[in-house]
Amino acid sequence: MAEQQPRKIFLVGNPNVGKSVLFNVLTGAYTTVSNYPGTSVEISRGQCVISGRKYEILDTPGMYSIMPITEEERVAREILLKDNPHAVLHVIDARNIERMLPMTLQLIEAGLPVILVVNILDEAERLGMKFDLPRLQQRLGVPVIGTVMKRKQGLAELQQAIADCTTVPHKPFVYGSDLERDINRIVKLLHGEYRLSRRALTMLLLQKDDEITALVEQTEAQLVPGVTGSNLGAAVNAQSISADEAPLQNDFELLQARVREIAYNRRADLHLQINLERKKVCKQMLDGVVTQAQPGGVPFAEHLSRWTMNPWTGVPILLLVVYFGLYQFVGGFGAGTLVDFLEGSLFETYINPAVIHIAHKYLTANWLFELVAGEYGLWTLGIRYAVALVLPIVGTFFLIFSVLEDTGYFPRLAMLVDRLFKKIGLSGRAVIPIVLGFGCDTMATMVTRTLESTRERIISTILLALAIPCSAQLGVILGLLSAVPGALMVWMVFMLLIFLVIGFLAARLMPGEAPVFYMELPPMRLPQFRNVAVKTLTRMQSYFIEILPLFLVASVFLWAGKLTGVLEGLVGLLAPVVRAIGLPDQATTAFIFGFFRRDFGAAGLYDLQTSGLLSATQLTVAAVTLTLFVPCVAQFLMMKKERGFKVSLLIFIFVSVLAFASGWILNKFLLTTGLLL
Amino acid sequence: MNCGFCGKEIPAEIGPGMEKNSCGSCPGGCRKIHCPHCGYANPAPGKFLSKFLKKSEEKDKD
Repeated sequence: MAEQQPRKIFLVGNPNVGKSVLFNVLTGAYTTVSNYPGTSVEISRGQCVISGRKYEILDTPGMYSIMPITEEERVAREILLKDNPHAVLHVIDARNIERMLPMTLQLIEAGLPVILVVNILDEAERLGMKFDLPRLQQRLGVPVIGTVMKRKQGLAELQQAIADCTTVPHKPFVYGSDLERDINRIVKLLHGEYRLSRRALTMLLLQKDDEITALVEQTEAQLVPGVTGSNLGAAVNAQSISADEAPLQNDFELLQARVREIAYNRRADLHLQINLERKKVCKQMLDGVVTQAQPGGVPFAEHLSRWTMNPWTGVPILLLVVYFGLYQFVGGFGAGTLVDFLEGSLFETYINPAVIHIAHKYLTANWLFELVAGEYGLWTLGIRYAVALVLPIVGTFFLIFSVLEDTGYFPRLAMLVDRLFKKIGLSGRAVIPIVLGFGCDTMATMVTRTLESTRERIISTILLALAIPCSAQLGVILGLLSAVPGALMVWMVFMLLIFLVIGFLAARLMPGEAPVFYMELPPMRLPQFRNVAVKTLTRMQSYFIEILPLFLVASVFLWAGKLTGVLEGLVGLLAPVVRAIGLPDQATTAFIFGFFRRDFGAAGLYDLQTSGLLSATQLTVAAVTLTLFVPCVAQFLMMKKERGFKVSLLIFIFVSVLAFASGWILNKFLLTTGLLL
Repeated sequence: MNCGFCGKEIPAEIGPGMEKNSCGSCPGGCRKIHCPHCGYANPAPGKFLSKFLKKSEEKDKD
C-alpha cells in the first residue's frame, strides 16, 4: 500500500509574530529553504508527525492582509489560492490582537481551515492584558490556542487542534446592510469553482484587486471553452453560445459593470469602507475577550496616543514639541551653540585663516584663489556652508526627528492634521503625502499617485511644492529663525495661513468628494537609543553626501558667474523684486542659492544675518519667501513625472509668483504693525 | 527593518539601489528605503550602521 501523502499546514501572519519559532518548534531540524518559483521570496518547508500522521509544514512570508502589496504578500496569498491545506495556522501577537484580528476574519471568510494561534501571551500578560480565549473561539467559530512558542507553551494543545482540524462552513460575519447588499449582488454572479469563498472573492473584487479580477475573469470564461472575458460579448453577439447560456456567460461583464456601479454609487473608497467594517466586527469580537488587568486601567502609552490625536490636547502637545524640540534644541543648541563653535570658533579663528593663508601662498592666479578661497570659493562657500552652518543644524534636527519617529508620533500627527483640515475640505488620504512631505517632498509627490481622484492629487502636489519644507530644509530654516525672538512664530503662523488659504481655495475651485482618512496605528513606545542613533547618523550621512556636491557645484557656478559678470547681471535682474519685498540687494545672492536648494538659500540668509545685514523683519520675510519656493530640482522633476510638464510648469510659476507676493504682503504687514521691530 | 511611519516590516530586498525602491528622481541615486505600504522615506543605513539596527530589531523580537 502506498504511503499516505502528508497533509499540508500553512503558517501565515504578520512579520515578527513568532511564525518562524513555531515552524522550528513543529518541524525540528528537518527543513528546506527554497525560493518560491519565479520570485526571490524564500519559503521554508519542513515535516512533522502529529498523532501518528505526517504533516508538511510551510512557513509563508509575512503578510498584513490577503490583499497584497509587497511581493512577499503576493507569494503568501498565491500559496493560499493554489493549495489545499489541512490547516492554516494564523499566528498573531497577543499584544497587538486588535490590529491583527482583521486578517483572521479575512482568512475565515475565505473558507480556509483556520486555527488562530495567539502567541507571545507572556509578554501581553506582563503588560496587564487578560484574555478569554474560549470566548473568542466561540465567537470566531475556529480553534483559538494561546501560546508562548519560545517556551513551547501551548504546543500540545496546538498539535491536538491540528489533528482534530476539519473544514466546516463558517457562518459569515455580518457587516453593515449596505455592504451586505452589495456583496450579495456580486456573489450571485460568480459561478466558477474557486479555492477561496465567493464572499471573500467579492470583497477583493470590490477593493479593485487586479489579480483576483483576472482570476475571476479566467475562471468564469472557462465555463465555455474558447471564450475569454474579452471576447464574451463578441461570442454572444455572434451567437456562438446558446441563448440559455448567454446570461450566465455574460456574468463577468455584468459583474464588472456591477462593481463599477457600486463604487460609483458609494462615491467612496470601498477598500477603506470594508476595512472599517471589518474593524468594527473585530471590536465586537474582542469585547469582553481582552481586558486590561493592571490597576491603572489603560496603559499610559495608550492615553498619550489618544491625547496626541485629540485636537484639544494634540495641538498643545504639538506646540510643546515645536517649542522644546525645534526652537530650544534645534534653534538654541544646534543653530546657536554648535554653529557658534564650528563656524565662529573653529572655522573663523583657525581653519579659514589657515586655508586663506595657504591659498594666498600657492594659488597666485587670482581666478584660482577666488575659486578656492574667494567670496564664492569651494572652501569659503561650499565646504563652510555644508560643514559649519548646515550640518550642525540639520544634525540636531534629525536627532529630534528620529526620536519622534521612533515613538510612533508621526502617524498620530497625521490623524490630528486630518481632523483639523477637515474643516477646509482637505480631509482624506491626501494628508498622508502631506505629512510624508516633511520627510522628503520628492517621494511624497510620488505618493500622491496613490490618491483616488485627480483633484486630491493636484491639491496635494501644490501644497507639497508650496508650503511643506522637507526635514532638512525645515531644520535650516528653523535654525535660522530661532536666533530672532518672534520670527519663528510669525513664520509658522504665516506658513499655516498660506497652507490653509491655498488648500481652502484649491478645494473650492476643484470641488469633489473628500474621502475618510484611515490608517492602522503602530503602538506608541519609548524611543530606543540604538534606533535613534542609527537613524540620525544615517540621515546626516545621506544628507551630507547629497548636499556637499551640490554646494560645491553651486560654488563653481557662482564663481564663474562672478568672473564672467553673469552673476552681476542676474543680481541686477532679481534685485528689484528682492527690493520690493523689503530686502537688501545682498539678499539676491541667497535667493539665487535658493534656486539650487532651499536650504542652500537659507544658509546664505544665515550668513547675511550673522553679518548684521538683515533686520528681524527682513529675515522673516526672506525665510517665508524662500520656504514657499519649489524645494529642489528633484521635486520639480518628480512633479513633471507625476503631473505632466504643463501642470508642473504652471505649479512652478504659481508657486514662484506666490512666494514673492507673500513676501511683499508680509513685509508690508510687519512694517505697518511693527510686530518684529 | 520596520517603517518609521506605519510600523510595518519592509521586505529585505527593498533598499538603496534596488529597482523597486527608487523613484528615480534624485540625482546620484536614492539613499532612502521607501516603505511599500505607506511610501514613507526611511533612512537607508550603510553596512556598519545596519548591524546595530538589526541587533535592535532582534532584541525587539525576543
